[in-house]
Amino acid sequence: MKWSFKDLLKLRSVRRVAQVFFFSLFLFFVVISDLRYLKGYPASLFLELDPLVAFATAITTHTVYIGLLLSLLLILPTLLFGRIFCNWICPYGILHHFIGWLLGKRRAEERERIEANRYKKLYSLKYVILIGMIVAAVCGSLQIGLLDPICLFHRSMTTAIMPLLNLFIPSSVYVRQYFHMGAWVIGFLLFFLVGMNVLIPRFFCRVLCPLGAFLGTLSSVALWRIDRNPDKCVDCDLCLKSCEGASDPHTQLRKSECFVCFNCIEDCPEDAISFKFMPPLKHEITAPMVPARRALLGSLVGVGFFAFGRASGKTDRDYNKKVIRPPGSVEEKDFLERCIKCDQCIRVCPTNVLQPSLLESGLEGIWTPILNMKLGYCELNCTLCGQVCPTGAIQRITIEEKTGVGPFAEEGPIRLGTAFYDHGRCLPWSMETPCVVCEEVCPVSPKAIYSREVTITKRDGTPITLRRPYVDPALCIGCGICEHECPVTDEAAIRVTAIGETRSRDRRLLMDGGVTSAVRDLEKRQR
Amino acid sequence: MAGSDLPKPAASPKRNRNEFVRENIPASERVASAVLLCLILGIGVGLWIKGKHFDPNRYALRTDALKSTAGAVEGKAGTLRSAGETQPGEEGASAAPRPKAEAATAEAEPAEGAAAAPKPAIKGEPLEIALPGLKPMGATEFYSSDNLFEKIDGRAPAYQGFNVQQLRSRSFSVNALSGSFVDVYEFRFDSPVNAFGMFALERDPKGKPLDFAPDGYAGEMGWFFRQGAVYVQVIASDQKPETLALAVAIAQNRAKQLPADDAGLAGRRKLPAEGLIADSIAFVPDNAQGQAFLKNVYQANYNFAGGKLSFFVMVTGPGEAAAAWKSYLDFSGQFGGKATVLPDASGAKLFAAENFGTAKVIYQREGEIGGVVDVPNGELARQFVEKYLAGQIK
Amino acid sequence: MSTNPPPDDTDGRTSRREFILRAGATGALLAGAAVAGRALWQPEHFVPGFQPEKGLQLPSYALALNKTLPSLAIAHGKEHDATVRAAIGALGGMSRFVQKGDIVMIKPNVAFDRPPALAATTHPEALRAVAKLVMEAGAAKVFIADNPINSPAGCFLKSGLRQVASDLNLELLYPETNSFSPLQLEGEVLKHWTFFHEPFKKATKVIGVAPCKDHNLCHASMTMKNWYGLLGGRRNQFHQHIHSIVSDFALMMKPTLVVLDGMNVLMKNGPTGGRLSDVKQMGTVVAGTDMVAVDSYGYTHLLERDLAELTYIHKAHDRGLGNKNWQDTFHKEVQA
Repeated sequence: MKWSFKDLLKLRSVRRVAQVFFFSLFLFFVVISDLRYLKGYPASLFLELDPLVAFATAITTHTVYIGLLLSLLLILPTLLFGRIFCNWICPYGILHHFIGWLLGKRRAEERERIEANRYKKLYSLKYVILIGMIVAAVCGSLQIGLLDPICLFHRSMTTAIMPLLNLFIPSSVYVRQYFHMGAWVIGFLLFFLVGMNVLIPRFFCRVLCPLGAFLGTLSSVALWRIDRNPDKCVDCDLCLKSCEGASDPHTQLRKSECFVCFNCIEDCPEDAISFKFMPPLKHEITAPMVPARRALLGSLVGVGFFAFGRASGKTDRDYNKKVIRPPGSVEEKDFLERCIKCDQCIRVCPTNVLQPSLLESGLEGIWTPILNMKLGYCELNCTLCGQVCPTGAIQRITIEEKTGVGPFAEEGPIRLGTAFYDHGRCLPWSMETPCVVCEEVCPVSPKAIYSREVTITKRDGTPITLRRPYVDPALCIGCGICEHECPVTDEAAIRVTAIGETRSRDRRLLMDGGVTSAVRDLEKRQR
Repeated sequence: MAGSDLPKPAASPKRNRNEFVRENIPASERVASAVLLCLILGIGVGLWIKGKHFDPNRYALRTDALKSTAGAVEGKAGTLRSAGETQPGEEGASAAPRPKAEAATAEAEPAEGAAAAPKPAIKGEPLEIALPGLKPMGATEFYSSDNLFEKIDGRAPAYQGFNVQQLRSRSFSVNALSGSFVDVYEFRFDSPVNAFGMFALERDPKGKPLDFAPDGYAGEMGWFFRQGAVYVQVIASDQKPETLALAVAIAQNRAKQLPADDAGLAGRRKLPAEGLIADSIAFVPDNAQGQAFLKNVYQANYNFAGGKLSFFVMVTGPGEAAAAWKSYLDFSGQFGGKATVLPDASGAKLFAAENFGTAKVIYQREGEIGGVVDVPNGELARQFVEKYLAGQIK
Repeated sequence: MSTNPPPDDTDGRTSRREFILRAGATGALLAGAAVAGRALWQPEHFVPGFQPEKGLQLPSYALALNKTLPSLAIAHGKEHDATVRAAIGALGGMSRFVQKGDIVMIKPNVAFDRPPALAATTHPEALRAVAKLVMEAGAAKVFIADNPINSPAGCFLKSGLRQVASDLNLELLYPETNSFSPLQLEGEVLKHWTFFHEPFKKATKVIGVAPCKDHNLCHASMTMKNWYGLLGGRRNQFHQHIHSIVSDFALMMKPTLVVLDGMNVLMKNGPTGGRLSDVKQMGTVVAGTDMVAVDSYGYTHLLERDLAELTYIHKAHDRGLGNKNWQDTFHKEVQA
């Protein structure tokens, strides 16, 4: 079969070009989410375009954060043309499409392929999942990030795939290898979901995807759709051979399932299928089919996610001291309303300190970012995590706001927590050995770690003058470089915990900076 | 189910490719395709352009912003070098004064404002002396001008008069003799001149000169000298030979370790040694002999030609020296005094005067002004001065 | 020709009515999405934890009283009711402070779950006496409320105050989740804090009834420290600036009247006490409009200590929030 330039001007061909373009674009954004390459690229563009992210955060926070307004660019075409996103733009969908083509039934009998693409009742599960997530959002807990395809794919790339590449080709992705807590869970989940394409083509997209469900609901009012001309049709069912959405184009088209991939148009030997403007309602199933009882069950699970999660107390007084959130994060309850677990912050962090938590921050906080000072620390003059966060769980703060200079000198710096000494592990405190690396690397001026010189008699009878370090809680910003650089690397002798963080009124340690007063006051008191 | 009773189409090919390719592509589809392709291209180009433009403040702190927190901060010293807690086994070290804030917080709430701010801890290098037979007894103590009295009691005001900056002191025990030790005091002043002044004030007339320090003397159990801007006192606890030997060694060590600096002591160097009554050297910072123009004056008493006289010298710029000589000449002619300009000698201007029953001869040569004052015999004064100017009295 | 579905009547064309409805629905959703998105749009970020805070400001409940009657009264007696009545009587009677129809909030100190004999909380008989006087003066409603340190239910029960409330039909308000609102104050240290607002929403008069207690940190807990129980949140931070904050209470609350119950005084091991030997019978009740004056009498005469130690009294005096020289005020001493 000869291929001519004319073939490019078919919509299916354009769709293929779009798939290559958007998938490459997604990979490009993942790769340049690095301080060395980021420049002005909108690395979180796919997340900002994601309509479910904008919709769900609008429910929880009653605002549409900065770039999320771009989601209108996808919502409006969906309302007109249907689920074009799922096959033209969604990088996760494109991945599944490709893997399905690679590993699926393409060599099999035509009949097998046709049967695999018929609509199954299982496919209504994604609507139940969406309902559960929306109900949880209405209560105040944002859980769409668990299964939203863009969030899931970003998360998998950040924590599992990019480190995998770097392990096999050292320094190809990072300067030094990055590690992520619980990466195996995310990695195997990715493999599982992608591997399921072997059994059911586009398994994730058809069965689990809440974004697909949302767009499917919006497609109900689409003015254009795939239409079958019953006069030309000979009921051969060949249109099902490559149908991506399992939308039953061979009978009444399920509008909410159709991915607008245009495969059916190309496959029909009778040229009976076309993309028409307002074809008759009788030839379609307009709204998604969701059994009412399943929907109710989904809602209950959504309520439970919020209620049981909160009632477990991890957002109130029983907060986990190790849940140290990135700088610029909003208060914990608001954080759980905004974080979509996309892990973009984790991807862009230059020190590998940000990690996806599992249950440390409670049920609602699965895969939300926390700092682990054993792996890194929060670089002082860096706000990259806030720059890439699409929903404002980490606000887009400036470096001046973070460090408390310029117009923010009166307020002072943002604190993530406070460091505390474990005297039994500290070399000068208990082991007769000089050290104070912690004091050396403390980045603020005046330093939050100071030392007192003391002379002791060692075990061997000789005297030694040691400098014993102390923390000044009025100055400590909780960046954790002290913990990271402490030579007692298994469990550092100075450890940062979340108390004293400025984002939360409840978790402040000192009232107004304590007796020693704010640094600004001390500056003003010139002798 | 759809079409189950209709005949199936011809045996479906096992291969994947379509046997049929859609030929009739509607014009609308072509146009839409073209538009979409252009749109995709446009998005790519647009993103590429967007990537190039960014605000550098996103990645690095705006240096301007640092001005807002440029001021130094009181009360947040880095290393507090006062002796802290004692450990079992530690040799007794007297606690250095704690910064005032600690006492304040133990009591009632300190009042807001500068009054409550803690004093910054006094900083300095610990006094380490590496000599065999010595071991430090406790930590180095530091005192500033304000709390010097805690260490030297009533002597403190005199030291403050010479602008003492810091006292660094430490005791060293003698290994060979238990109970014997040597105290080392290093008073740092703000200039070698002031250090000399204080040293000269406390000078013991019976002291023997030291060979390792030009401004220095040894007493029975103590060695005192000025090195640079530091007035060093090394005092032994007893007169046992080992103790004294170590004390001398310490003094020599300090003289070697402390940097030499004689800035402002040019005048001191000018005082000739011949006939000098050693403990009479004095330094008068200003208003010497009641004259405002006589500052940083070194003076000493001499035995000369069977008599005693007082000689002084001041080193400054040539202009100032000339002006001072003229002023002194004018002053001496007042209040019933008699002043006579003498002929120049050895490149210096001279005048002799007699006031209130005493004579003086004052010279000025370039930046040096000096002379003999308060002598009954003007002739003796003139001889001394002329001999000095000729280089005959060294 | 396909068998499925059967051809419809309109030959594959939509009617005009259907067109308008469908296009209209889509158009409406389009417009709605765009409008909603634009309306909810938040184009600027904020810095979490540093946003300006606003809160309520308490009105003053103090009265402008004529100077012909004393403003401080000290009564000595053997039992609560008579002594309290004597003290209030010496001030001119409760009717000088409470009028018919007033809604009165009485603030006792119920911080700990202690029996009354240990003098760690307001004695129920003192509360009973004051409440009875208030009701006799014609109050329409009387609230009692406190935000204790120990658990609220236990404190009100074991201190005996719940019984008094039910006997006299006083309304007891517990510190529930929605009873608190942010408070704004131009204090020395206390500027913005969560406040037990519920009892004050309708109150027209406020009376504080405090025990006289030793306190391990700030030396004494009397009528000024009593207002601590109106604050919520993490009050454990107050100890970092305790004297400034107690003096800020005098700025925060201007009550109509304060009563210091010195019948049983907790002399040591306060503020919790726990042993009968810590308690001494002093047989005195002090009532007045100036909590600084009342407290300075209490510290010197009931706790029998040197006023120089009591930093917060001097702070409050220096800030002009009261007069620590109680002898210089118009006072009266009576025997019950």
